[in-house]
Amino acid sequence: MAKKALSPEERSERRMMILTPVVAVLLALIIGAIIIACLGKNPLEGYAAMIQGSLGDGAKLSKTLERACPLIFTGLCAAFAYKCGVFNLGGEGQFIMGGCATATCVLGLGLEGPAGLALGLLAGIVAGAIWGLLPGIMKITRGLNEMITTIMLNYVAMYFMEYIYKNVYSDNGLPKTIAIPQSARLPEVFGTHVGVILAIVLGIFIWYVIFRTSFGFKIRAVGMNPIASRVNGFPVRRLVLLAFILSGAIAGLGGAVELLGKTPYRLADGFGSGFGFDGVAIALIAQLNPIAAIFVAFFFGVLSTGGTMMQSVIGVPTAIVEIIRGLIIIFAVAGMAAVKLPKIKAYVAARQDAKAKKAEVNA
Amino acid sequence: MDFMTALPTILKAMTMGAVPILLAALGEVFSERAGLVNIGLEGVMAIGAFVGFAVGKMTGNLWLGLVVAMLAGVLINMLYAFCTVTLCADQVVTGMAINILAPAIALFGYNLFVGSNSANATGDQMASIAIPGLSSIPFIGNAFFNQTLLAYLAFILVPLVRYFFKHFRAGLSFRSVGENPHAAETLGIDVVRVKYLACIVCGALAAAGGAFLTLCYTPIYTDGIVMGRGFIALATVIFGRWSALGVLGASLLFGFFDGLNVALQAQFQSAPVMFFKMIPYIFTIVALIFFGSKHAGPKANGQPYFREQR
Repeated sequence: MAKKALSPEERSERRMMILTPVVAVLLALIIGAIIIACLGKNPLEGYAAMIQGSLGDGAKLSKTLERACPLIFTGLCAAFAYKCGVFNLGGEGQFIMGGCATATCVLGLGLEGPAGLALGLLAGIVAGAIWGLLPGIMKITRGLNEMITTIMLNYVAMYFMEYIYKNVYSDNGLPKTIAIPQSARLPEVFGTHVGVILAIVLGIFIWYVIFRTSFGFKIRAVGMNPIASRVNGFPVRRLVLLAFILSGAIAGLGGAVELLGKTPYRLADGFGSGFGFDGVAIALIAQLNPIAAIFVAFFFGVLSTGGTMMQSVIGVPTAIVEIIRGLIIIFAVAGMAAVKLPKIKAYVAARQDAKAKKAEVNA
Repeated sequence: MDFMTALPTILKAMTMGAVPILLAALGEVFSERAGLVNIGLEGVMAIGAFVGFAVGKMTGNLWLGLVVAMLAGVLINMLYAFCTVTLCADQVVTGMAINILAPAIALFGYNLFVGSNSANATGDQMASIAIPGLSSIPFIGNAFFNQTLLAYLAFILVPLVRYFFKHFRAGLSFRSVGENPHAAETLGIDVVRVKYLACIVCGALAAAGGAFLTLCYTPIYTDGIVMGRGFIALATVIFGRWSALGVLGASLLFGFFDGLNVALQAQFQSAPVMFFKMIPYIFTIVALIFFGSKHAGPKANGQPYFREQR
């Protein structure tokens, strides 16, 4: 594919798009450091512990990757939906329903071996897709705001999972399910489960679908301007519904992978908790680019696993990591909005003009 | 279950469940009337819940806790206001950012405040004030006339807000900003100022709703204590057609289903109670399906306002 020449304006816009999240991350880390310093601890020591605890050796790296894996799925879920103009906050519910379906399939049917694994993954995808389909139907038939409906469905899913692990497949009455049998678990490669590779491949695949296929083009067109798309003859409602279903399926697959791949291989309280919002954060920081989302999710994984180490070394609560995460997203949002402001755009353009003139004069 | 014997319990739980939603939803009415959809209510409520709890515990003065909580809510909502009004950022995205940042701050504060010091884990509660005479009315007496002062204040706020929007010049200018900001600007209304004011009111009220949870509902703060009430409040505003009275009715209805859940849990302890806990959330969706028209609400709701743009 021939690379099209970019005008200087486009190039500067693209540079801004990459620069904003990086600056946001740095600013957030600096503020995090200030907070740590205010508590009388050494921030550099803290960040060193964070890197040591998440990337220090092979075992830690694989733990970080496994932590990032579900976030890649929910991040892709949010990014894909938002590309089509759908603000899917239900990643968590879809993720949980995926996990529930997998548990039901594997434990309920007593499946073992690769058959259990394959059917479990499939069940997760289907359940996630259904949980994404519900708010989609509500949106296109009744015009309901998907933000509210998806959040409500998150809580329904959460309580449904409670039913699964307390009443249906409870492990001797304990509030957790029986573990998935050894043979039906995801195999390991390089110390991590295959799900991590699956997530990365899926991210690249989704990038290809969104940016290099006509289907992806339609999805993006609907996201940018639904009215123009309808005038063009695109089946807008069907595309929106598809975006709901596919993004739900991605999150559902994530839930299945998490259950089949990560210790303790059971559903219990807190399974998938917060992953939906993290996914939205990842998608926004990655500017809805699926490949960037993989890296942002990995960074979130580093923050999470490293945060525990930081807590044990310098004694700052792990919640500091969540503050840093929240700051990153607010800075990224503010930054992206700021560079689009007419005044700032005009300033950047004027500077570029001046630069170009200078170059002309020098020549 | 004998419904009539359970009714007083349900009604009591209804008013208790309705107050936090009502407060947050009234805040959202201000915000949306000025054209700002704030989905960050959930986060602001979390901040309010924690600050109210912590300050109330530290000083022993629950009202001080409430006031500081409201200030904290205003502060965090100013972040939202700056991003959406001054920087013209996407309101939904910014609200989402608040939803992620604010509970994190609350959790961090909680870890510092309680952490290993478990003496701080349980706070005090506001006492209920029974109105003599009225509180002995069968069924509704205990529910409506035996409450904390904060709950009474929340209900008194409803006619005030209604009056403000109907009869005050300022209330009308709020509405004009939400309907058509450019026209409002030509009439000499400072659109940006009105939007900031709306955010101040919204932050304060939503944080008060959050503070109600820790000061009157349960004496402890836990991560995720808001349990989607911020989003239910958003649904309440749609359901109540952006009017104070409608919001009151809607939040009482949501409270009723919350109360039903509590009563059913008490009645059938051996049943899978999680299905009862789903009731308020499922009801929210059902209510929106039947009454959540998309063709209502302020016209310029959710759109950024560029002063220079024509």
